[in-house]
Amino acid sequence: MTIVVGYAPDERGRAGLELAAMLARSARDQLVVCTVVPAPWIPGVGRIDEEYQAYLDDLAQQALDQARADLDTDVQATYSALHARSVPSGLLAVAEQHEATTIVLGSSSAGIFGHVALGSVSDSLLHRSPFPVGVATRGFRCGPDGKVTRVTVAYGGSEQADDLVVAASVVAGRMGASVRLASFAVRPLPPYTAGVGRLADDALVGEWAASLEAAGQKALQQAKDLDPVPHPLEVVIGYGRDWDGALDDIEWRDGDILAVGSSAVGLAAQVFLGSRAAKIVRHSPVPVVVVPRAAAQELAGQ
Amino acid sequence: MASLREQILRRKPVTEMAAETGTDTGRSELKRTIGLLPLSAIGIGGTIGTGIFFVLSEAVPIVGPAVIWSFVLAGAVAGLTAICYAELAGAVPVSGSSYSYAYATLGELVAMGVGACLLLEYGVSGAAVAVGWSQYLNELLDNLFGFEIPEALSQAPEQGGILNLPAVILIVLCALLLIRGASESTTINAIMVLIKIGILIMFIVIGVTGWNSDNLSDFAPFGFSGVTAAAGIIFFSYIGLDAVSTAGEEAKNPRRNLPLAILIALVTVTTLYVLTSLIAVAAQPTEQFEGQEAGLSAILEQVTGSEWPATVLAAGAVISIFSVTLVVLYGQTRILFAMSRDGMIPELFHKVNPRTLTPVPNTIIVAVVISLLAGLVPINFLAEMTSIGTLVAFIVVSIGVMVLRQTHPELPRGFKVPLYPVTPILAILGALWIIQDLRPVTIYVFVIWVGVAIIWYFVYGRTHSHLGRHEHVGLAEDTEP
Repeated sequence: MTIVVGYAPDERGRAGLELAAMLARSARDQLVVCTVVPAPWIPGVGRIDEEYQAYLDDLAQQALDQARADLDTDVQATYSALHARSVPSGLLAVAEQHEATTIVLGSSSAGIFGHVALGSVSDSLLHRSPFPVGVATRGFRCGPDGKVTRVTVAYGGSEQADDLVVAASVVAGRMGASVRLASFAVRPLPPYTAGVGRLADDALVGEWAASLEAAGQKALQQAKDLDPVPHPLEVVIGYGRDWDGALDDIEWRDGDILAVGSSAVGLAAQVFLGSRAAKIVRHSPVPVVVVPRAAAQELAGQ
Repeated sequence: MASLREQILRRKPVTEMAAETGTDTGRSELKRTIGLLPLSAIGIGGTIGTGIFFVLSEAVPIVGPAVIWSFVLAGAVAGLTAICYAELAGAVPVSGSSYSYAYATLGELVAMGVGACLLLEYGVSGAAVAVGWSQYLNELLDNLFGFEIPEALSQAPEQGGILNLPAVILIVLCALLLIRGASESTTINAIMVLIKIGILIMFIVIGVTGWNSDNLSDFAPFGFSGVTAAAGIIFFSYIGLDAVSTAGEEAKNPRRNLPLAILIALVTVTTLYVLTSLIAVAAQPTEQFEGQEAGLSAILEQVTGSEWPATVLAAGAVISIFSVTLVVLYGQTRILFAMSRDGMIPELFHKVNPRTLTPVPNTIIVAVVISLLAGLVPINFLAEMTSIGTLVAFIVVSIGVMVLRQTHPELPRGFKVPLYPVTPILAILGALWIIQDLRPVTIYVFVIWVGVAIIWYFVYGRTHSHLGRHEHVGLAEDTEP
């Protein structure tokens, strides 16, 4: 199985590469490290941009050399520079060609260190990729033998979420990682002027949490029949006045990745990041893998 | 099975309430971060905007220019009760409305009665506010586009219409926002308060140019009973002063700041109201108030002879009253949620939607009922029902303060009512005085409404109460707060 890494010659590329290495090591996959170079314009008589293209190709080769140097030797990888009209379409083409399991990218350099920030490439892929898309946090490093030890599934209680739970459990089982379901209760404090107390929504959140926990446990039941079964399986709830607080509320550690399902409004076959999923992704302190519904169903079906 | 007396007097243990709101989520602790001025601002923000924009056309016809004394009287009673409210809120360490306080101190039956009053204070006031909004919307549309919503679709049946459609639409919009999980942030709230204060000040400054002392010559045509009768309607515009008490848990140095903040808020609000009403009654003769819609805008238009000040005022009112409606609706759904959790009303009211994290059926039912009220009932009746419900809820709170002083003198109280027992007794007497001058029909309907709530309690609440099921009876006696 293959993981495609979109690599750019800067610190963003390094974080993505580290995440891909961690996934590949855990799942015993191999990597295809890709650098996309803008395709030449329709060749004219003069070939005036030939020199420029050569320069770009050269840059790409340098980037790949850098990647070779950065990547730990225990991970099998091939390197390729390719021409495409856009980076996302180039990466999708490579992923199709290799029947990739995932496309991995780094975070945008505009984001906060240690958080996931979507750039133009990841944003585009997160709205059209038929493959799961992994995005590393900014500055992510997993260490020379870092592996995935736990898969956290962002769980919203819907039926499609059950497929994602099973799919994540299948993958986690193969990786020898544990699975936990995380739900996030985000309620801002009620306005003072409502006169019902500032904790009026806490009882409501408590009720919601109880029902979601029950649904989560039920979803995990299906994962218990898997072979190999990931251990342990748990449900956690993060509370917060905002998304940041809610994601911080649960405990995170090295070796965590967060799996997020794709929205029910998009096409089943493609990733389409919903509004809540986007918020979770943006505030995640660990790398995120966004899984299209069809891919989740397929994995769950196995 | 507990005896009937035990049932109706059983109180909800404070520890259980704290557990419901707190430990479920581990997020219960609120920090004491609010100083005196922000606390006063909460009081001002919570109060202004519910009534002043439309209450004059209901109140002035029955009192004349002496309406300014009605504002002072209603303000004094509101202030006294707000102080009592603050003690109760501090002594019962739970977060909630007067329903929760009553349940913890006075027993289940009284709590049910208070719940019925709160339906008036929130639900019916929401309807009244929405009707007022529709008047200003019409004014705004007329001034901006020369288009008015036809009478049939902007008036209650009693006033010659079929349905007050804008009011219904406003409620539905607010309900949709609430279902989606929207909440008003502190910033938005502050902006809304500034808008409300801004347009009132604008009204005062521009309106003073229309001062005509002749309009004040017959100052109190209906004598003192007119003043109290109007205070009954006006009391509605003081709802929200208790927001200061609700914020008490987060107040720095509550012993000093709570009463001071209530006082500052009260004086500010009363001053604004008195000035506004003084300008209004000086600008036009008493007879003109009767049935006047979007009153403040209309007066400005008349005084200046130009449309733009009226348009600005109407726009401000349309924006800020929207936010008031949203908050009132929110409050109502959460009170019903609490009652449903206690088993006093059906479980449907505490069903939470997993996606939006909001009580969807609850919100829908509330919106349907309130929009029917807003669409079909005239505003003066809504305002009076709101006033009587709030006044009675405040009476219960004042009694609660005295009961708690007797039964639990040892409870640590963040804030104590000064001049006890004079203050709560004055609060109760003041409220009763205002109530007795309301129209008989209001009092009858109120009595019937509370009667229905009590019957409901005996038929449903008494047997479904969660306290009853867990056999917690009497725990309040030996609960350490």
